[in-house]
Amino acid sequence: MRLILTAAALAAVPLASLAQDDPVAQAVEARHGFYQMLAINMGTLSGMAKGEIAYDEAAASRAAANIEALTQYDLPSLFIEGSSSADADDSAAKPDIWNNPDEFGTKFAGLQAAATGVSGAVKGGAENVGPVVGKLGEACKACHDVFREKS
Amino acid sequence: MAGRGPVREVRLWDPLLRAFHWLLTFFVIAGWCLGQFGPARMTLHFWCGYVVAGLLVFRLIWGFVGPPPARFSHFIRGPGAIAGYMRGMFLRQPSHWPGHNPLGALSVIAMLAVLAAQVTSGLISDPDDYINVGPLASYVSSATRSKAVGWHNLGASLILVLVLLHVAMILFYRFWKREDLVRPMITGRKQVRED
Repeated sequence: MRLILTAAALAAVPLASLAQDDPVAQAVEARHGFYQMLAINMGTLSGMAKGEIAYDEAAASRAAANIEALTQYDLPSLFIEGSSSADADDSAAKPDIWNNPDEFGTKFAGLQAAATGVSGAVKGGAENVGPVVGKLGEACKACHDVFREKS
Repeated sequence: MAGRGPVREVRLWDPLLRAFHWLLTFFVIAGWCLGQFGPARMTLHFWCGYVVAGLLVFRLIWGFVGPPPARFSHFIRGPGAIAGYMRGMFLRQPSHWPGHNPLGALSVIAMLAVLAAQVTSGLISDPDDYINVGPLASYVSSATRSKAVGWHNLGASLILVLVLLHVAMILFYRFWKREDLVRPMITGRKQVRED
């Protein structure tokens, strides 16, 4: 039994290092990192819009600028073959993305458009943050509704 | 069948139960359509859910303290009664049943349970869009609030199936059994067979 466990543990070591070189695992991890960065900055703005975080013009503008910068990254390029929820364990990307790449691109372009100019738009007071969160949130939803697994 | 006695018209459904029924009809349909086809900012959908939650609380209380036809103890029956009812179900004659029949009771319970689950999953849902986060999402784990979105979608399909079944059965009673079940839910009065 011990021997089997040891053998299994040893066998898992090269597998784990292999996963780091696997382009699919890399792409999925990179996507999650992208969304995590988006979430951190959206969290700041949404907290300020709801009054849960005190409004700070510089912090709001910085978070918005981060979102603007993030959306300039070519995110769809990370949705490589074999990284859908049907193929990769920790992926929430519906296979429909690969069936409708143009529509997926349009959704991402929608986020880019919503994010354009937000670093300036959130300046001037907490009341300016809500509309920005709303506009960005609509772009999030538009894509999640169609292309994101719901579980 | 409910007895073999003569048929007479009685006041069956009380006014509050009827109001509950039609308000629930309106807000479930409105909430469902807003959820599927409504604006991206789902404020109205949320309000439909809150109204449905309130209506369900009323129905639960009414099921214990309301008039007899509204009470769970009056219409929730065992498998024997359900099988007995189903044997006469396809006869081309009105049931004249004084309330929810044993089979229909299952549908009532299924609809109330699914709607309660739907309200709950909606309250704790977080679809990661920062605009439609359920008001109780922060009280559950991030894995749960994310899964709740999936349950909420599944719930919408179940509600559609149950509502279509409900309407289909009403049409079955209307055209096969020649019994109008809609009118009693409006006027409260129904032809029932006396025991």
